[in-house]
Amino acid sequence: MLSMRTMAAQPNIPPAVLNFTASSTGDFVQFRDVYKRYGENLVVMDRMSLDMRADDRLVIIGPSGSGKSSLLRVMMGLEGVQGGQIGFQGKPYIFGEDAGRSKRIDAKLQKQIGMVFQHYTLFPHLSVLGNLILAPVKVGGLSKAEASERARMYLARLGLESKLHAYPSQLSGGQKQRVAIARALMLEPKLMLFDEVTSALDPEMVIEVQNVMLQLAEQKMAMIIVTHDMHFARDIATRVVFCAGGKIVEQGTPAEMFKCPKEARTREFLEKVLHLD
Amino acid sequence: MNYQFDFHFLEGSFGSLLAGLRVTVELALASNVMGLVLGFLLCLLVMSRWAFVRWPAQLFIEFFRCTPALLQIVWFFYCIPMMVDVYIDPIVMGVLALGLNLTAFNAEAYRAGVQAAPKEHIDACVALGLKPWQRTFCVVLPQALRSAMPVLMTNGIGSLQQSALVAIVAVADLMYVGKSLATQAYRPLETYTVVALIYFALSLPVARLVHVIERRQELAHQR
Repeated sequence: MLSMRTMAAQPNIPPAVLNFTASSTGDFVQFRDVYKRYGENLVVMDRMSLDMRADDRLVIIGPSGSGKSSLLRVMMGLEGVQGGQIGFQGKPYIFGEDAGRSKRIDAKLQKQIGMVFQHYTLFPHLSVLGNLILAPVKVGGLSKAEASERARMYLARLGLESKLHAYPSQLSGGQKQRVAIARALMLEPKLMLFDEVTSALDPEMVIEVQNVMLQLAEQKMAMIIVTHDMHFARDIATRVVFCAGGKIVEQGTPAEMFKCPKEARTREFLEKVLHLD
Repeated sequence: MNYQFDFHFLEGSFGSLLAGLRVTVELALASNVMGLVLGFLLCLLVMSRWAFVRWPAQLFIEFFRCTPALLQIVWFFYCIPMMVDVYIDPIVMGVLALGLNLTAFNAEAYRAGVQAAPKEHIDACVALGLKPWQRTFCVVLPQALRSAMPVLMTNGIGSLQQSALVAIVAVADLMYVGKSLATQAYRPLETYTVVALIYFALSLPVARLVHVIERRQELAHQR
């Protein structure tokens, strides 16, 4: 019943009238009626609209299956959307299939986004240095020497300079995730996406990864973070977004969201997860 | 058992055993080169997105996996010369039969290796802006070759053992020489024991190496 309604509503989105104008606020990332479903029935993004400023750190929370990870994967260009548009830095970035355009994603803008995943995605056959310089050399056009220099700098910043020649199998989980963050930073992205990067880690390693992310926050890196750690969300977010059932239910500052959420659905969720903490 | 072992008769046959060994090693090496190269190409075909490429390749694999190797060898030796009506050197025929058999098995090993590369790595490649061919050559294939290596090596030893089957079509390999010596001297026990030991000595180091590689990969996986 629900899916019938959303499917019927979806083709009515007029793509041509959407334009991404550079305004003073909220033009860094703009989701406009983004619609995504898997197969015929599973709607994971139900006409989501969202704005983000360049100095925002968005933390997305919500129950599993609420569309949090889909939002990140769509923003990274890993998956397409059926409807709506996404703007990035005031320019059109991703179009839904309903927009009738052959090119659905702007590859130049895509390169300015970095992403770190839940599972370790370091390439096991390459050393830490090899992992870091692969993309800058192959994609970024840097020489090996330049890329290695940059790799050294980032590793030093993350306290991992001694691991330059180590292989991923010789690193702890926390170290692996820090290297993965360094690898994403190597291409000097304007926006970083973090998809539950600490949920596979032992508790004592969570802190070291979160510290690196807080360090990035201090440097005003724009981030969208999906996490189940509400304390961390409170520490790092400028804005918290609560998703459920493919919709954005509520958003606000961490203080607003955690102290006095307006929606009953948000309250219910927060009571459950904060109680577990 | 009151059998008296006597290896003295083999003293004079050292040269012929060595010649047989040479043929066996040649057969094994050539079929392995063939199996490693063609197996890789066949794996690419089997993984093609087009069904009309995939199907014949899969059929080729299934044919070699689902018929006895001995039959394949006999078929090559008797049927191909009849079909094309030319004389082909028996050793070349042996390499062809063993090599194609190994090709089929190795293609499967390569395919398993490619499929073992985690899907998340592809996501990471996209996030890093690597192009599809860069993903394949810089990330997927190096990992696939590593994980396929133990199976490829085991298949390689298997091919060495299988090469003994060509003795049946009168290729003078180690097995064939052994068989002739055994009948000439009426000493099958000693002869076949020596021949077995030679095969064993050839295979054991590779088998041990496979074991070491597997251990290392397991350890790397656990961490």
